[in-house]
Amino acid sequence: MPTYKAPLRDFRFLLNDLLNIQNYGNLPGFAEATPDMVDAVLDGSAQLMEEVIAPLNQVGDLEGCKLDNGVVTTPTGFKAAYKTYCEGGWNGLTADPEYGGQGLPHVLGLAMSEMMTSANMAFGMYPGLSHGAYEAIHAWGTDEQKKLYLPRIVSGEWSGTMNLTEPHCGTDLGLLRTKAEPQADGSYKITGTKIFISAGEHDLTSNIIHLVLAKVPGGPAGIKGISLFIVPKFMVNADGSLGARNGVMCGSLEHKMGIHGNATCVLNYDGATGYLIGEKHKGMRAMFTMMNAARLGVGMQGLAVAEIAYQNAVSYAKDRVQGRSLTGTKDAGKPADPIIVHPDIRRMLLTIRAFTEGARALALWTGINIDLANKHPDPAQRQAADDLVALLTPMVKSYLTDAGYESATMAQQVWGGHGYIRENGMEQFVRDARIAMIYEGANGIQALDLVGRKLPTGMGRLLRRFFHPVEQFIQENVAGPAGKDFVMPLAKAFARLQQATAYVAEQGLKNPDEAGAASSDYLRLFALVALGHMWAQKALVAQAKLNDGAQDRAFYETKLVTARFFMERLLPDTGSLLAKVQAGGRTMMALDAANF
Amino acid sequence: MAQEIKKVAVIGAGVMGAAIAAHVANAGVPVLLLDIVPKGATNRNALAEGAVEKMLKTKPAPFMHSSAAKLVTTGNTEDDLAKLADVDWICEAVIENLEIKRDLYQRLEKVRKKGSVVSSNTSTIPLGTLIDGLPESFQQDFAITHFFNPPRYMRLLEIVGGVKTRADALGALRAFGDIALGKDVVSAKDTPGFIANRIGIYWFYIAMSEAIAAGLTVEETDAIVGKPMGVPKTGIFGLTDLTGVDLAPKVNESMLRLLPKSDAFVQAYDPNGALVKTITKLIEQGYTGRKGKGGFYRARGKEVLDLKTGEFRALQEPNLASIKAARKGLRALVEHEDKGGKYALSMLLKLLSYSASLVPEVSNDILGVDLAMRAGYAWKWGPFELIDLLGTGWFADQLKAKGIKVPKLVELAAGRPFYKEEDGKALYLATTGDYVEIPVAPDAWLLADKKRGQKPVASNKGASLWDVGDGVACLEFHTKMNAIDGDIIAMVKEAANLHKKGFKAVIIGNDADNFSVGANIGYALFQANLAMWPLIEQGLSEGQNAYMALKYAPLPVVAAPAGMALGGGCEICLHSDAIQAHAESYMGLVEVGVGIIPGWGGCKEMVTRALTNKRRPGGAMPAIAQVFENISTAKVSTSAAEARDLMILRPSDGISMNRRRVLADAKRRALELAKDYQPPKPVELNLPGETGRYALQMAVEGFVQQGKASAHDGTVSMAVARVLTGGDKDITDVVTEKELLALEREGLMSLIRTNATLDRMEHMLTTGKPLRN
Repeated sequence: MPTYKAPLRDFRFLLNDLLNIQNYGNLPGFAEATPDMVDAVLDGSAQLMEEVIAPLNQVGDLEGCKLDNGVVTTPTGFKAAYKTYCEGGWNGLTADPEYGGQGLPHVLGLAMSEMMTSANMAFGMYPGLSHGAYEAIHAWGTDEQKKLYLPRIVSGEWSGTMNLTEPHCGTDLGLLRTKAEPQADGSYKITGTKIFISAGEHDLTSNIIHLVLAKVPGGPAGIKGISLFIVPKFMVNADGSLGARNGVMCGSLEHKMGIHGNATCVLNYDGATGYLIGEKHKGMRAMFTMMNAARLGVGMQGLAVAEIAYQNAVSYAKDRVQGRSLTGTKDAGKPADPIIVHPDIRRMLLTIRAFTEGARALALWTGINIDLANKHPDPAQRQAADDLVALLTPMVKSYLTDAGYESATMAQQVWGGHGYIRENGMEQFVRDARIAMIYEGANGIQALDLVGRKLPTGMGRLLRRFFHPVEQFIQENVAGPAGKDFVMPLAKAFARLQQATAYVAEQGLKNPDEAGAASSDYLRLFALVALGHMWAQKALVAQAKLNDGAQDRAFYETKLVTARFFMERLLPDTGSLLAKVQAGGRTMMALDAANF
Repeated sequence: MAQEIKKVAVIGAGVMGAAIAAHVANAGVPVLLLDIVPKGATNRNALAEGAVEKMLKTKPAPFMHSSAAKLVTTGNTEDDLAKLADVDWICEAVIENLEIKRDLYQRLEKVRKKGSVVSSNTSTIPLGTLIDGLPESFQQDFAITHFFNPPRYMRLLEIVGGVKTRADALGALRAFGDIALGKDVVSAKDTPGFIANRIGIYWFYIAMSEAIAAGLTVEETDAIVGKPMGVPKTGIFGLTDLTGVDLAPKVNESMLRLLPKSDAFVQAYDPNGALVKTITKLIEQGYTGRKGKGGFYRARGKEVLDLKTGEFRALQEPNLASIKAARKGLRALVEHEDKGGKYALSMLLKLLSYSASLVPEVSNDILGVDLAMRAGYAWKWGPFELIDLLGTGWFADQLKAKGIKVPKLVELAAGRPFYKEEDGKALYLATTGDYVEIPVAPDAWLLADKKRGQKPVASNKGASLWDVGDGVACLEFHTKMNAIDGDIIAMVKEAANLHKKGFKAVIIGNDADNFSVGANIGYALFQANLAMWPLIEQGLSEGQNAYMALKYAPLPVVAAPAGMALGGGCEICLHSDAIQAHAESYMGLVEVGVGIIPGWGGCKEMVTRALTNKRRPGGAMPAIAQVFENISTAKVSTSAAEARDLMILRPSDGISMNRRRVLADAKRRALELAKDYQPPKPVELNLPGETGRYALQMAVEGFVQQGKASAHDGTVSMAVARVLTGGDKDITDVVTEKELLALEREGLMSLIRTNATLDRMEHMLTTGKPLRN
């Protein structure tokens, strides 16, 4: 059975040495995030995930969820583990203290959520969805709605969901059919069918607060006529106690490739009572609050699964003895050398590691900018941070899940034939990781979001928030001692990104299909440069630590080697990606649909 | 030899009379402005004097330059009539009262110069009635000159001659109206409302009453009768507010009185109808239009009258499918099935068939009708052009289907268009049923007239070079808003080499409303957001090089701006050998508004103009300070005359009053310069450097401290100051043009790296307004 050890040393390095969270003491929540508190959060969450949540991962996969007469039972142990998780206060780690949360920085929440997802992705989705519902109600709910729902969502007593998809309507929400009929008392009657609803029905909480997109009859057609509603599973009395069962039922559970421990439901709304949240017909805006948070969360899933797959691939590569090193016997005491002596095994392991550590830095950098966007006193700084988050979100979602899945497959490959055998657990990672590329906006849609929405905003204003600091970093460090190894490769890749961006913007203006044709390769190119920026900074920090005589030399030396590997083996892909971007969309669009 | 008008008198210092006098002064012609002596007045000239004073404060300004007011001599009709003895044209603009006018004419006849021209600005009284019984000599010298309000800005001048009016009297008025006043002169007949108001008043009535009948809202109507029909975006209700709701009953009443019962307007007019009731109620409540507390719109356009309830409500975005369909053209609008489409069709059938039925009654040809509506009502297309957009055959079929009489001219067209181009000639359908060439005068043309049937000498997406005859080429910009981009810069370079293709001179001009709004900062902003600094600097250098190549080309270059010539559009004019500007030219270096400094030689040329100005007082600093103030406050001239104050126009540069004459005048100037042309000699300047900059810095810091300028304004201003004072040089050094250009680049590149500048650029591009940050 796979094991999990939280990468605490890396988290501390990123939070303390790279992002310097101690510098943000003036922001609400950060003052409380003292080094002791950060250590306590990291250590406490690591212990919970390693000891309580991770052991349920395979159980959940094998047992799955069961539906019986509308009641969903989660796999053995989930309920108890969820109770432990809530009692530890983990569910409200970053939530607003006004509603019982601890108000700690979002960036710490991301760290915890990575650990939880590595330990057990299917389990982590239950609180993950609650967090999305929390964000939407917190941002758009009335004071009354907030007081009624938030404390119990924050405590974990209740959970939340997001209901978008319908049988005929996935990416294109304009096709939505679920209707919301206004009632005399100001509530609405919601009728329709929602599918693919993660955590849509389960036995972990006493109530489930569904956030549902629906159309009020007579409103504008398409996407502009969509509103968002709160639909509780059980009606909630004014004092917060539970009333009658509402008209929303789980019709069936989907049979799916992975994340068996999470209940993916068909939900039937039959005149269920719902309450408008946010403005009528402005539901998409409210929904995006959830979706942006959710997209970052899904990106973390790619990273998190890659991390645990890596850990188990490393232990196998060290244990498994097979053949001899190409350069002569390394362990004469054994009948064969451990396979980790082989360059190609190392190529796979380092590729995963260069990805996960780079991605972790990118995710936490995004996280700190979410905190800045929410909490910085200067509106210009808030705007700048918000811009950066908006720009990075499709990349975190898309690249981290693409590369996360590739990493899971690579880790499985290290195991050879044994990786294909169920009880060894490696194939579960592959299956679980696969969904992250699909849901919450398929990765192709993320790429379109990047080129079609994020690039043109403010004539490239969002880009400025990334390009200017990177260009400045290059200018300041390219001539320095680490310049040749770590900054020059970034400078080259950055120039390719500038070229690709100008190309996509210009071609896209003339013909949107050109932007569409370039989008996926462009996103990957951009994400690699973003990771490159992270790695170059990390290398500089590690080098400085070594120069200062740091104790933990092996850690920093390993960082430098991994950074170098990234620069030599991952970042050069930007060259071929640029060539693909510039190849244009002509060939792609040449064939008549009939000739496919 | 045609009679010449060198001195003018306007009698009646009301809104129209005073503004006509101001516009005569704009033309540089002395003008006498007389009005009656008010009862019990101590100042007998109070009315005329008060009118001039008021006009100096009016916006938009009737005067093109405050100094023009000095050409207006004020007086009164009791003491000063004798002064009319040396006046060539007397324009009467007194109250619309037949007796008062006729009485005045009697008095004029006694004092005026023999053979001088007299005209009335009446809009409602027939010419025949005005002069009935007056001496033969008066009748021979009399005409109607019908200006549109405000006369400086509205281009239409309808001229009506009587049966006995001398041809050369009319010729003198036409020539003066055209050349001196810059008007589009249309010969009208002595019929009620002449051309433009005859159609316009009917249009107002039909467009609004049919909208009410169709159940459309004010917003929906204005969205339909706006852009889709080529009408200013105020639409019809908004335009009524602008011209005055209380004006409507007055003009309707006079037209009803003058027109025969059979006229479609009289037939359509319903004194008990919803429109008349609505307007009456608005006026009763004091809603007289924008000049008052509002009209159909109020609260600065945020609220609108609900035509059904008669109450005001919040503005609603019109949401009719037909309005969206209109983007595909007029035909798509009128063929749409919803109430908007049906309204548009019904309204246009009435309006256009009425208009078409008026030729030759009000105008000998369709040209006069279309020009009158374009120039007098700012329509993009005249009625016959609109019919062509619908198709004459289709139009006739629709009229028949609706039981509306098909006008003779439409029958005559028999499916053929009213306008067409053939063998490089523009033709129109005459009342004979034959096509006749639209005349183009050798000294009054648009570039379109020269382009017709021709291929450009060179062309790319942003600009083209055209042969406009006699060895002169015209550089035309044709980007959106004529913003200057890489394509235009490439064509500027081509223009500087046209001597190799046998050309003698180059003019720069186009037919667009605006010569150029400046460099296209969209590209630069995107590149700046991507931190592509070398590319931006390269673009900057290329612009500088192209303008320098133009300046030192072996053939003369004359810029012919009209409308806005801002930023890079102004800078190209500054690099030309001469400027021939349309009188309505709005010129200036506005770069600081987007947080940068003029970088295509604008600072260089302005400081050169200031320091080489022979009449400048004192040392270098006062001159530099003046340029500094103009650039650092983004000063824009409100006319070509004002551009002289800003030294954008030099004393030798010319101004054309008529838009159709700008290019022809520029060409003539270019050919003059082409004789023995020598490129200018490079100028070397002595600039004060840091010591001079100190004074400017003190002033800037003062403004910032007082909160009159932001910190970033201060940064941008000091970047301007650095260039204008020659950077690190001092007064004993010589600064070359090349060095000044390098200073411009350095200053601009430092600013464009800042967030504040990029925020300004983004704001300008997304909202069209400057950001004060």
